[in-house]
Amino acid sequence: MSFRERTSRILLSAPVLRLSSIITTLFGISIFVFLVLRVIPGDSIVGAFGIETGVLTPDQIAELKVYYGIDKSLPMQYLSWIQSFLSGNMGYSYSTGISVASLTAKSLPVTIELALIGTILGVVMGIAIGTFSARKPGSIRDFGGQLFGLLALAVPGFVLSTAIVTVMANKFHYFPNGYEFVRPWEDPWMNFQQMMFPGLVLGIAVAAPVMRTTRSALLETIDKDFVRTAIGKGVNSRKVQSRHILRNSLIPIVTMTGIQFGYLLGGAVIVENIFSLPGMGRQVLYAINKREYATVQSSVMIFAILFITINVITDLIYRKIDPRIKK
Amino acid sequence: MVAGVAFVAPAHAATKDLAVGMVLDIDKLDPHTATSFATVKGLGLVYGSLIELGPKLDIRGGLAASWGFNADSTELRLKLRSGVKFHDGSAFDAQDVIASLNRILDPATKAAARSNIATISSVTGSGLSVTIKLSTSNAAILAALDGVNMAMLSSDDIAAGKIGKTVNGTGPFKYVSWEPGQSVKMVKNETYWKGAPKLDSVTFRIIPSEASILSALNAGTIQFAVITSPTVAQQVGKNLTLFKTPSLNYVALQLNARVAPLNNVNVRLAMQCAISRSEVVTTASAGEGKVIGPITSPAYASDPNDRPCPNVDLVKAKKYLTEAGYPNGLTIKTIVAPTQFATASGTAQSLKAQLAKVGINLELDIVDDSTFVSRWLAADFQTAVANNGGRIDPDTMYTRYFPSTGNLNKVAGYSSPTLDALFLKGKQTGRATERKVIYKQISEELENNAVWIWLFAPNEYRAAAKNVTGFIPLATGSLIELRSVDLK
Amino acid sequence: MKRDPLKPKGGFHYYLQSTSGVVGAVLLLFMVIVSICAVFGWLPHDPLEQNVLSAMKGPNSHYWFGTDEFGRDVFSRTLDGMRRSLTVSISAVSIAAFFGVILGILSGYLGRWFDQLIVRLSDVIFAFPAILLALAIVSTLGNSWFDTALAIAVVYTPIFIRVARGPVLTVKEMDYVKVTRILGFSSPRILRKHILPNVTAPIVVQIALSLSWAILTESGLSFLGLGTQPPNASLGLMVAEAQPIAVFAWWALFFPSAFITIVVVGLNLVGDGLRDALDPARRSS
Repeated sequence: MSFRERTSRILLSAPVLRLSSIITTLFGISIFVFLVLRVIPGDSIVGAFGIETGVLTPDQIAELKVYYGIDKSLPMQYLSWIQSFLSGNMGYSYSTGISVASLTAKSLPVTIELALIGTILGVVMGIAIGTFSARKPGSIRDFGGQLFGLLALAVPGFVLSTAIVTVMANKFHYFPNGYEFVRPWEDPWMNFQQMMFPGLVLGIAVAAPVMRTTRSALLETIDKDFVRTAIGKGVNSRKVQSRHILRNSLIPIVTMTGIQFGYLLGGAVIVENIFSLPGMGRQVLYAINKREYATVQSSVMIFAILFITINVITDLIYRKIDPRIKK
Repeated sequence: MVAGVAFVAPAHAATKDLAVGMVLDIDKLDPHTATSFATVKGLGLVYGSLIELGPKLDIRGGLAASWGFNADSTELRLKLRSGVKFHDGSAFDAQDVIASLNRILDPATKAAARSNIATISSVTGSGLSVTIKLSTSNAAILAALDGVNMAMLSSDDIAAGKIGKTVNGTGPFKYVSWEPGQSVKMVKNETYWKGAPKLDSVTFRIIPSEASILSALNAGTIQFAVITSPTVAQQVGKNLTLFKTPSLNYVALQLNARVAPLNNVNVRLAMQCAISRSEVVTTASAGEGKVIGPITSPAYASDPNDRPCPNVDLVKAKKYLTEAGYPNGLTIKTIVAPTQFATASGTAQSLKAQLAKVGINLELDIVDDSTFVSRWLAADFQTAVANNGGRIDPDTMYTRYFPSTGNLNKVAGYSSPTLDALFLKGKQTGRATERKVIYKQISEELENNAVWIWLFAPNEYRAAAKNVTGFIPLATGSLIELRSVDLK
Repeated sequence: MKRDPLKPKGGFHYYLQSTSGVVGAVLLLFMVIVSICAVFGWLPHDPLEQNVLSAMKGPNSHYWFGTDEFGRDVFSRTLDGMRRSLTVSISAVSIAAFFGVILGILSGYLGRWFDQLIVRLSDVIFAFPAILLALAIVSTLGNSWFDTALAIAVVYTPIFIRVARGPVLTVKEMDYVKVTRILGFSSPRILRKHILPNVTAPIVVQIALSLSWAILTESGLSFLGLGTQPPNASLGLMVAEAQPIAVFAWWALFFPSAFITIVVVGLNLVGDGLRDALDPARRSS
């Protein structure tokens, strides 16, 4: 193989292409978020000073513009931010004086924990109910399962959250989220209680599509010949179900799970608000409100990186499970 | 456990820790530039000022033990309280007062209270004596020395540039930590000049939804809360104590009289007459709030009925409209930020429904906080639904807005030689009786020209668990009286 | 929404065989009728009319679903809200489907750099927080119902691009299509005869599903203050406004929530029915 052939083999190989497409996407996101923020009226000065901005002199405003880094031209601002970001400096939150990196280091684990709990609960509930339904299609069980799936999908998360908080706190005087948020390693039991209800709300939202995917995947697979053959061969029907069917049905479930988890990572803002969880969703929302550009931009980039990583991992698992996929 | 040995509980009592719920987080540690209500309340517990306003907005000594003016009120001499220490142990004296006041007066600080004390020409003193010289006679300066924006800071901290990074004050509670978005922790100041607080610690807990705050109170996870929404306040049950104080703030529909069609006084008067302020209070504020005129400062409060239309008068409104040349009504836009204050959205909706009765279509332009502020500052609006701060002195309340030289006159959208003359007179006059006359005239001038439509003053709410005793709410919104609170 | 003469023959017949499809269609029809009433103003009360004296009253003979804190009729507002929610969703999904399908088909068919560009752009939008996008659109363009629909449309377009592109790629690789192209048949003909029929089914199903998500998205955005603006009624906004008074006035929260649930359930069932009807190999019941 010539040098040229070897190089182009490497450059055009799937992983390299994939990586380059990821990088392009991330750059696209960085430009997009940068522009979107500049398009919204109000800047960091207004976000920090509010109406007091009106009493600042032009000199003070010029000084503040330098301080907040908004005095340079837009392309310069973008370049200076993206350069710092790539070298590990995600910028500063001016109101708190804390670096975005530290803020994110505190809030991201909360969001990840919530997303994990929601996804796990949702997948477990979804697979359980989906399997339950698929065993006897068309029966009352099936109807019940499908009804659950539909309701779980249709009742908005904020309605469910509000109902839970109102009933638990006011009727049962039980509101673990009214206490300071604790990390899992500080007080595992308290942390669990604080994650329980929001995780449940998100889990229900995840359970719905997982349940339906499981059910239809199972029904499809049960139909397939090789399963019939196995049953015909006298293999225990329970074993057939667990080994043959489930493994083949895993593909769409795994894909669905990956999508849901990535989605939840986006910071289930409403749930974080109602249950006072100090996660990324609230961080971004607050920063948008205060027009803290660096915080929003860097947080969105972090989220995008995570989201894309999850997609890639899901894809890899998908390829591993499905023997039909060629490289 | 060894059999036969009784288990004895430790002798010391549990610590008295108060958890306070708030929807917003503090947004900085520098008291001189603090403007958001959460920051003002939070930092107000760790810092002290020379003067304090009591429950009746009466002037009391804080870090200043006594004071006196010279004959023409151009010089204020203060005697500082002795034995006061900062949280870091250093003594409080005249040097700190001089450094703090100069810091506030320095334009580079961008202090929020600078314009209130702009008449200070020099501050001198030593030991426990301070002399403040004023450029013109200004008796109102005393009241302007109250509040967290007038916090006395250590001169060493100022020199070292530590303000906004570390917190070292003279308040009843000592700052411990700030977990952004979550909590602010403070412990009691044992050497506080008024005596150590009974509470061992105070923690501000940020709970973003007021409904959740109420739930937390009911569940007992917090013992105290600041509530801004009248609807939530109404749901506070018998198991809690609700403190309600009328606020100095006011909700108004600001009119930009420099743009059409509001440059026509008849259009503005038509709007004034078409709106029932009490109906706005009933619908937007759950019936809680006081109908007011322009000035809410208690000693100078405007008579809410002192205006062309003290009550809603649709006939008169239509007449004004016809005179203005709009017999069939017209469309007027307003900007409103629902997240800015609890009754914003309700007020806008109530106004829209009421103005529709005379054919005025109030188009609601709903924006987020920062967008509202940036358009408000640029006077890029026809009308705006605003909740502005009131002051105990009418001059500081409006000096930025209506005099044509005010920083915010553009935002106010109106000025006139009459108002300019009246404001000038008000600054120069010292005697209370004469001032009352002048500010009454200002108030009438504002209402007769329907410069803005002043609606109501909301209430400030605090809710506490039953075992919280000794709290006194203040009209300024300050939580300073937590220094006397006990947990039973 | 349910159009297309290229549907496999007998699709309608299959649709009727699916219970979920029928139930869904009935629920949806109910909501559409209700919305039409609102469009023509056949409502017992004006949805915007405030009647302070009757505020926060429970369901009674005069106000069938009770009144909210402004004294507005919850029944009329719920119906009007359903109309607005459906209008926003249908507009949003129509725009997203229109541009998404065109871009997806073109992207898949033309391939190479154009395909890469479209896929990258849609990935960018996909990975972007919807709230930020909505805020940006609402801040710049305004917040009429159409701007909300636009914000939702932008977020959903990538999905349609993806759904349309997939079958195009598959079909393009099929031998008979390759042969057709070699033989010189025009692209529009290939598109029409071979590609469109394969794209139609998943798109139609996706439309039904997206409509149901759009209603939930609109209600979520309204909850955060970024969707329909007061005093207009939209189901999401009504739920948001009812939240603080839920303890006092359960009806203000219950009825809009119930209507959201019913219409979302209906749309999902219709989606199921369509999936069954258009792709017999995937029938689930």
